[in-house]
Parts: sequence; structure tokens; C-alpha cells
Amino acid sequence: MAKKFKTTVQRYNPDMDDSPYFEDFEVEYEPGMTVLDALLYIQDKYDSSLAFRWECRGGQCGSCAIKVNGTARISCRTKVNPDKDILLEPLDKMPIIKDLVVDMAQVTYRIRRIRPYVARDKPPQRPEIIQAEEIEKLREIRKCIECSACLSNCPIVAETWDYPGPMIIRQLARLQLDPRDVEDRVSMALDEAVYTCTTCKMCEDICPKNIKIPSLAVELLRAKAVEAGYPLAAGQQGFIDSINKTGRSVPEKDAPLLQTTETEEFLVDTPQGRVAFFTGCLIDYRMQDTGRALIEVLNRNNVDVIVPKEQWCCASPAFRTGDVHTGKAAAVRVTEIFEEVAEKYDLDEVVVACAGCGKTLREDHRPIIEEMRGEPPKFKVYDLAEYLLDVIGEENMVKPKGRIEMKITYHEPCHLGRGQGVVDQPIELLKMVPGVEYIEDPYKNRCCGAGGGVRAGLRDLSMKIATTKKEYIEKTGADMVTTECPFCTIQIKDILKGTPIETKYIPDLLAESYRKGDKK
Amino acid sequence: MEYKTIVCDVLVVGAGGAGCRAAIEASNHNLDVIMLSKELLGKAHTSMAEGGINVALGNVDPKDDPATHFKDTVVGGNYINNQELVEILVDNATSRVYDLEEMGAVFDRTPEGKIAQRPFGKQSWRRTAYASDRTGSEIMVTLVEAIRKSSVRVFDEMFATKLLVQDGRIAGVTAIDMKYGDYLVFRAKAVVMATGGAGRIYKVTSNAQLDVGDGYAMAYEAGCEMIDMEMIQFHPTGMTRPESAKGRLVTEAVRGEGGILLNSEGERFMKNYYPQVMELAGRDQVARSIMTEVIEGRGSPTGGAYLSISHLPKRIVEFRLESMIEQFGDAGVDIREEPMEVSPTCHHFMGGISIDTDAQASIPGLFASGECMGGLHGGNRLGGNALCDTQVFGALSGENAAKFAKEHSLTGFDREVAKQEFDRVEAMLQRKDGISPADAREELNNLMWSKVQIFRNEEDLEYAVKELKRIQKEVVPKIKVDVPIKRFNPGWHQAIEFAHMVTTARMVAETAYMRKGSRGAHYRVDADPDDKGYYNIVIRKGDDGEMDLKRKDLVITKIQPP
Ligand SMILES: Cc1cc2nc3c(=O)[nH]c(=O)nc-3n(C[C@H](O)[C@H](O)[C@H](O)COP(=O)(O)OP(=O)(O)OC[C@H]3O[C@@H](n4cnc5c(N)ncnc54)[C@H](O)[C@@H]3O)c2cc1C
Repeated sequence: MAKKFKTTVQRYNPDMDDSPYFEDFEVEYEPGMTVLDALLYIQDKYDSSLAFRWECRGGQCGSCAIKVNGTARISCRTKVNPDKDILLEPLDKMPIIKDLVVDMAQVTYRIRRIRPYVARDKPPQRPEIIQAEEIEKLREIRKCIECSACLSNCPIVAETWDYPGPMIIRQLARLQLDPRDVEDRVSMALDEAVYTCTTCKMCEDICPKNIKIPSLAVELLRAKAVEAGYPLAAGQQGFIDSINKTGRSVPEKDAPLLQTTETEEFLVDTPQGRVAFFTGCLIDYRMQDTGRALIEVLNRNNVDVIVPKEQWCCASPAFRTGDVHTGKAAAVRVTEIFEEVAEKYDLDEVVVACAGCGKTLREDHRPIIEEMRGEPPKFKVYDLAEYLLDVIGEENMVKPKGRIEMKITYHEPCHLGRGQGVVDQPIELLKMVPGVEYIEDPYKNRCCGAGGGVRAGLRDLSMKIATTKKEYIEKTGADMVTTECPFCTIQIKDILKGTPIETKYIPDLLAESYRKGDKK
Repeated sequence: MEYKTIVCDVLVVGAGGAGCRAAIEASNHNLDVIMLSKELLGKAHTSMAEGGINVALGNVDPKDDPATHFKDTVVGGNYINNQELVEILVDNATSRVYDLEEMGAVFDRTPEGKIAQRPFGKQSWRRTAYASDRTGSEIMVTLVEAIRKSSVRVFDEMFATKLLVQDGRIAGVTAIDMKYGDYLVFRAKAVVMATGGAGRIYKVTSNAQLDVGDGYAMAYEAGCEMIDMEMIQFHPTGMTRPESAKGRLVTEAVRGEGGILLNSEGERFMKNYYPQVMELAGRDQVARSIMTEVIEGRGSPTGGAYLSISHLPKRIVEFRLESMIEQFGDAGVDIREEPMEVSPTCHHFMGGISIDTDAQASIPGLFASGECMGGLHGGNRLGGNALCDTQVFGALSGENAAKFAKEHSLTGFDREVAKQEFDRVEAMLQRKDGISPADAREELNNLMWSKVQIFRNEEDLEYAVKELKRIQKEVVPKIKVDVPIKRFNPGWHQAIEFAHMVTTARMVAETAYMRKGSRGAHYRVDADPDDKGYYNIVIRKGDDGEMDLKRKDLVITKIQPP
């Protein structure tokens, strides 16, 4: 007997139905089956009028994007897991024509607005000489098949068509990178709201062609804008000036963590590991208790923690907004500091408390350093949860004992989940805390609206995105939302003000459970 | 049935490489151009083409020139190509490829910054220009950019069902708006057919959903002369698993870049068949070699052969065959390390609507280009020549359609014919008892795959012709749509397509049955040695409504058959 699984499909024929509804179908599993195969099975066996688009069935035409379990993807390259039921819905943002088929007219209008072709001021010579290096980057972002899945998932497009969305901003970058195009694509990008992207990487994550849109398009266009002398938003420039002056992106308020710790060395009796702690600006200047909690959690798990007194901002705000110069300088400085510490204390692992910093160290610093000196930084970067579970290992951990009787959900920081591939570990930590009832939020990985300089530069938009996030969180019915990033913590705390839902950084929650456990 | 009428100067049916190119060309003549397609703009089958486009630029092999391209095409086509058309192809390829570059195409480069070229089967020199192994996508994306710059009116998801002819001249088409189900008549002074191929009449095919042969059937029904319909290219390398990916193309570029074919005993078996050219023998030759290995018991577990590229540096594979890495990655095979399993798949229709040197069909005002047009490729199409065909003949058909539209006024059309056509498709929705298109299609697919295939014989073909006549008479009129709604109803679309598929299949089977010798892709195991095959077969709808088949002399300008 072949295995069967349930496929729930959103149906809607506006001629006949007042509103969309869901219909369940039983589908027989075949090895290698894709979501498109499941749809074809349903069409063949149950209902030949089920409407969905497809053509090539091989990820080359981009016709078949739909929402699979809440996230838009092309169905012909999305594998079915026979142990899980699947939910299929039409793309967001686009009006439904029938069932899973949506009207793409808005996308077409939106594309046409950017003059989406190579503009020339004179006919080219034939043959035209173009060097391979000139088109290297262009070649990458040229692979787009316009499936529009990224538009459906984009948290900015969800709020406003002022931003054309990843696919179309990519087309702008494609044209800006084309040596033959004569238009001023940089000013066009500004007109097309290139600074509204939070760099949440949802587009990159689901792109069937793995195009790194945030870095290869958005950040590239922003860098070109900075290079061309366009000013950043006041809020964004403030961060950068501050970094260049003080090594911290924000001004000092309470006594900074690094100034109040008496020692660099937080050592344990029988260490099973030794790490350096990269605090980042917000832990150092704004969330000192969280920093202490993190050191405590590591120490309780018999890990030596070294906290270098002299630290420097990773310059994430600079990388995200296009100030490549500030970014590079910071990459060099941070690498120097931590390589020195690594050498002095004989360690090669650095734990980063902030998702944004961790992503920046891994995705931005590393290639820069590697390109500069032919060798990447000599230390490895970990998130706390990742370090505890993947390096120390669950079996060697000292579990927290204090009960916390709460329903807790989790917000996955974009720059942790998609930025560093850390998805399950923080949730496993949560589940370790006695009393905690973990509630899965199907939209846990949706952006909170803080990143990419958007909170700093475009507060209104940022709050709109956060409000959508708030709706997801409230829907879970949890008493508390936890996360692993100071930036997300601040943003979510802000938006949840006035609701009974608490917001907490995971190290804080762990420390609380440990301390409670001591008292017993 | 109620319908609405839309008028334009030039109507292009099809939005693949040929249709888009034709529409762009026609719109350059200050005309009102409409382009129809069954899928969204940019999603046509052309986007699936992988390996490249032939053009004798001589960028890597300076000795290459159009004359050699001509010779390779005619020899590869087994000498039955229309040589006038081949001349047009090779003489214009360079300009059309530079057009693409001017529109914004990004081809891979030589160290000097010129367009790079790779070797493809049966070609004297490295001639095939490419963008990694996503050349069709690159061309499609470029044409879409150009369409978005143009004034062409794009009516996508618009299903043309019948050509309207008035007093011997083309008058327009009847069509169904797939999105909302409305009936429409598109009237035009000139019409370009660019409807692609019909791989989907076979069970195993590399073709997209849309390739069901609508264009062949519509043109035939309208009275066009059709040519070389028996010539179907089975690409030697299609995927064999998983089941749902069966038939998906493994680009010839894999062999072009040095991939080797092995049987289950690990033997590089092509040396036993075509030792000089090995894996780069003609597609028909490689396909038959693989099938012979399988039939003689040396096939892979899934009934194919092994194709290995793992001896090449990973870097090269990653740069030049990125789509293949992705495609096999999905099937759990890392082609940088392990061999692929491949077997033949229905790939290309060499035959189609026959045209003159203006790309005009036998009905005045009707033009054709791309895969739905016939005669250019003869008995076998060279890899890379189809994309070239879409550009050269796409532009030519667009240009001449524009000329025709300028020289002629709009003709009327027979409203009764339009009404009857809409009644016909409406009846499928109303029918209470009947046969579902899915079942009917399966029967047709199996029949074609088992009886009109790579190795053909008299008995099979006779049976196929008989069966197809029966299907046409008994099944087609009984096709019924399960759910009688018009708004985006794939069941209805398939029902309408089915009649077109059967007509197309019958043309294939009838011509294959008539040709007693082997020639090109048409391989008879019981070949009549006296039938050298140096002729074309053309079909027309006779006055009695039956298929009228005729032998026709070859059109030769330069190369005599041996
Ligand atoms: C997998 C694969 C790889 C290939 N690789 C290569 C290669 O590397 N090099 C090469 O030269 N060739 C290659 N080919 C062949 C080549 O891709 C095709 O021959 C070529 O793209 C056909 O282009 P076209 O414009 O004629 O038709 P298509 O691209 O097939 O477009 C047909 C158009 O007609 C429309 N249409 C059809 N019927 C109707 C209707 N009833 N009403 C309205 N519209 C209709 C369709 O919607 C579509 O828009 C490959 C083919 C395949 C299958």
C-alpha cells in the first residue's frame, strides 16, 4: 500500500463562491514527489477543474509559484514530505482569479515602471566586446525566472507597492550591473524605495535559483548610492558616525557591560570549552543584564568565557545601508581584536549574542578578510544556542531546573535563521526549560521590521511591518515571545506594549530558570 | 454562442522565442500587434532550452562560416531539408544573435570578450553560443525585456482554437480567454503562427505542458500544407527517474562538454556504433544506440544508460552546467560525483507548417516560424538550430507579416464559422456522458509511445493509423469536461487540446506509415532498401475532409544527396 497524505487546497471561484474555502484531498505518495505532482494527482483523480499554473515542471519557467504551508515557493521543485499534511494557497498580494491562479497584472505594471530593459544611447558596435569579468555578478542575478514567489513572501511588499519587491529590485541591479545600460539606475533605485528592504532574506531563502537578492541587489544598489554621494537617512547616518567615532553604533546610556565587568576572564573549574564573547553594541550599551545572563549560562555549562574589554562594532548598520568603507574598516578591526584574543587565550570559537552581528561576522566580514589576505578570520562564529547544542552537545549540557510555567513562542530573527542557518537550536533550548509549553508560530520566521536600517530610517514602515508581526504573535495565544536578537527584542517589545505578552531574550529566560532552580 | 471581437494589424499566436521575436519585428513597423499565448508572458517552452544557439561566428574556431553551418545542417538533416530555408537560417543567424545582444542578452564570453561557443553534435566546429546551460531562459528573458519596451499588446493565457479563413485569406483566430472563459475572435490583416511543438502527444517527453500541437492541427484544419510530420526527434538523454521527472531533458551540452555514455557493464558503448564521433553522433544515432544497449540487456536499472561527467573538474561542471547540477540534485544525484541515468525522450518536431522563403504558409497572410514550422531541419535537427530558427524565422515572419498587413486591408470573416467553433467547445462543457480528457490523453500517449516510436515498423504504424482514425471518430466527439465551468478550468483546456493532439498524432502516424525506408529520425526496422527516402511528404486536408498525403521533390540549392 502506497503511503497517503492529506493535501488541503484553497478553492475559490468568485463567480460562484462568496469567499475562499478549503478542500481536503488524499494523495498517494510516490518517492521524489513534488507539490506540483500532488496537484496534478488531484487534478487527475478528483477534480480536473482545480486551477493552478505550471509549464516546464523543472524550475525553468517560473509559472507554478504558490504558497506551500504558508510560504510561497515554486511547486515543481518543492518536495513533498509524506509524513506531513500540506496546505496549498495562492500567492499573497495578488488578486485571485480562481483557486491557486492569481492575477499577475500588478506585477507587470510594477516591472514596467522601472524601464526593465537595457537602455542604450546609440546602437552598439557589432560584435560588441564585453569581458567575462564585467558580467560575472550580472550573470548570477540574471538567473531569475520571475516566478514572483519572493514578492508574495516579502514583508515590505505586503505593506506597500511603493517597494517593487525583491524580483524587481533585482532587475534594477541587473541593469545597473550591465555595462551597456545607460540609465541612472541608482537614482531610480532610490525612487523605487530601495531603502525599505529590511534584508530579511526571505526572498533569498525561497529563491529557486538561489539568488542572493539582499546582498547582490539591495545592498549593491545602496552601496552605489552611497558611492554616488546620496545621503543616508538621518537615523542611519547617526549610527554610522557613531561607529566611526566610538566603535559603538549607539550612544552610551547606562554603564556599559564591558566597563562594568571587572575581568576579561570568566573561567570555570572543569571547562568543557572556551569561547570569546562578542557582545555587539546593544548588549554592551543597552542590555547589560542579557550580556551577564549569557556569560552565566555558558559558565553554568562549564564553558570558559573570555570577554575582551576592547571591542568594536561589527558595522552591520553600515553594511546594510551601503557604507562599504565603514564596513570594511570594522571587519578588519573586529578580526584583529578577536584573533588576538584567540591567540592569547588559546581558543578559536566566538559566541555572538546578536543575530545581526553574527550574520555580519559570517557573511560580510569573512569574505572581505578572505579577499584581503587570502585567508578568512582564524576563529569560528556561533550563536549561543547553536554553540550549546552543536558544540557542547545536549548530553553534556547542565539543564536548567527552575520551572517557568508559561506558554512561550519564538520569533526567529531573520539574521539568525536565514542569516546563519540557526533554526531549531533556540527552540530546543526553550523546550529544555521545565514548565515551558512551546507554541509553534507558523510565521515565526517573518521579519519584525527592524533590520536593514528600516527601523532607524523609516520608522512608520517599520512599525507597519511590526504590526503584521504582532498579529502573528497574538494568534499563537502565547504568554511570552522569545528571541535571540537584541534588535528584534526591542522592536517586538515596542509593538507588544499594551498587550499582556512578554518579550524576552533567550539567555535571560535560561538564566532565570537556572537561578530559580538554585533556590529550590 | 456570444463572443467579442478584437481587431489588430498583425496577430502573433505564440509567445515563445519565435512569437516574441515576430511580434517585436512587426511592431517595429508602426503596426498594432497582438501576441497570444496559453501561458503567462515569459513562461513559454523556449525558456527550457538549455544548451545553446548555433551561429557561425567563428569566435573560437575561426574557420567556421555560414557555408559550413549550411553543410552541417543539411548533412545532419539527412539531405531532406528545404535548402532555401537553410540558407536563410545560416545567412541571418549572426545578425539575429547580435539583435539579441543589443536587446540585452548576456551570453558567456571568450577571453577576448566575444561570444563564447561550445561544440554540439554533428557540427564541424564549436558553433553553439550559450549562457551557461540556461540559454533558452536567457533568450526568453531578453525577449520579454524587449516586449516590455515595445507597444505589443500581450494577451497571455489566451487559447487560440481555430484559424479563420475568408476567401482564401487569413482573417483571424477564435480564442478562449483562459482566465475568465470568455469567447473572443481576434481579427488581423496578417497572422503569424509560432505555436511550438507537440512533444506532449508522447508519454515520455522533454516538452512543456503547452506543447500539444494546437498549431499543427489548426493550420492543417485551415488548409495549410504540412511537411515532414513523420520526423520526430527523440533526444537520447532524458531523465529516467524519479517517475515524475521522466523525460526531462539532460542537455546535449553534457556530452558537448565531454560527458561519456556507459552501459551497465561500464563499457563506453558508443565506440561500437559511431567510433569516430562517439557521444557526439547525431541525436537519432545516439538514441538508437542507447535503446539497442537496453534491448540487448545492458541497460541501467531504470532502462537507460549511464552518462558521466564526473571525470571533469568540478569547477567546469559548476560553471557550465549549473542547471543540470540543480536538476539532478533534486533527484538526489550529484553529477559532479556520480553518473546520471538517461534514456530517450520525445523532444522536437522537425516537421510542421510548410513555408516559402518569406515564411509564408500556403494560406496568404498566414506566416509561421519556430518549431511549428517545417522543412528547415529535414530529417533531424541539430542541437542549437532550433533556437536559431526561432530568431531567424521569427524575425522574418514578423517582418513579412507586417509587410502583408501594410499592403492589405482587413478582411471580413464568417460569423457562422466562429459561432460553430464556440458551440463546439461549449458542447464539451454541456455533455452529460462521455470520456474524460485525462483518460483519452493517456490512451493516445501510450499508443504513440509504443507504436510510432524510435524503432518503427509496418505493422505498428498500420495499427496506429487505424487506432487514431478510430479515436478521431469515436473518442474526440465524446470528450466531456467533468466540471462545467469556464473560469480557469484546466479540464476544459485539456478537452479542447485533445482534438488537436489527435490530429497532430495522426499526421505523424500517417506520414510515418507512408515512408517505407529509413531517413533521419524516421527509422524503420523493416526499411525498404529501395526507398532511399530523398523526398518530403506533405499533407493537406483534402476536399473530402480526409488527409491527403503526397510525396514532394526536395528543394535543393547547393548540396545534392549522395
Ligand atoms: C528541454 C529542451 C531543451 C532544448 N534545448 C535547446 C537548445 O539548447 N538549443 C536549441 O536550439 N533548441 C533547444 N530546444 C528546442 C527549442 O527550445 C524549441 O524548439 C524552441 O524553443 C521552440 O520555440 P517556439 O517559439 O517555436 O515555441 P515555444 O517556445 O514552444 O512557444 C510556443 C508558444 O505558442 C503558444 N501556443 C501554442 N498553442 C497555442 C494556442 N492554441 N493558443 C495560443 N497560444 C498557443 C504557447 O503558449 C507558446 O507561447 C530544446 C527543447 C527542449 C524541450
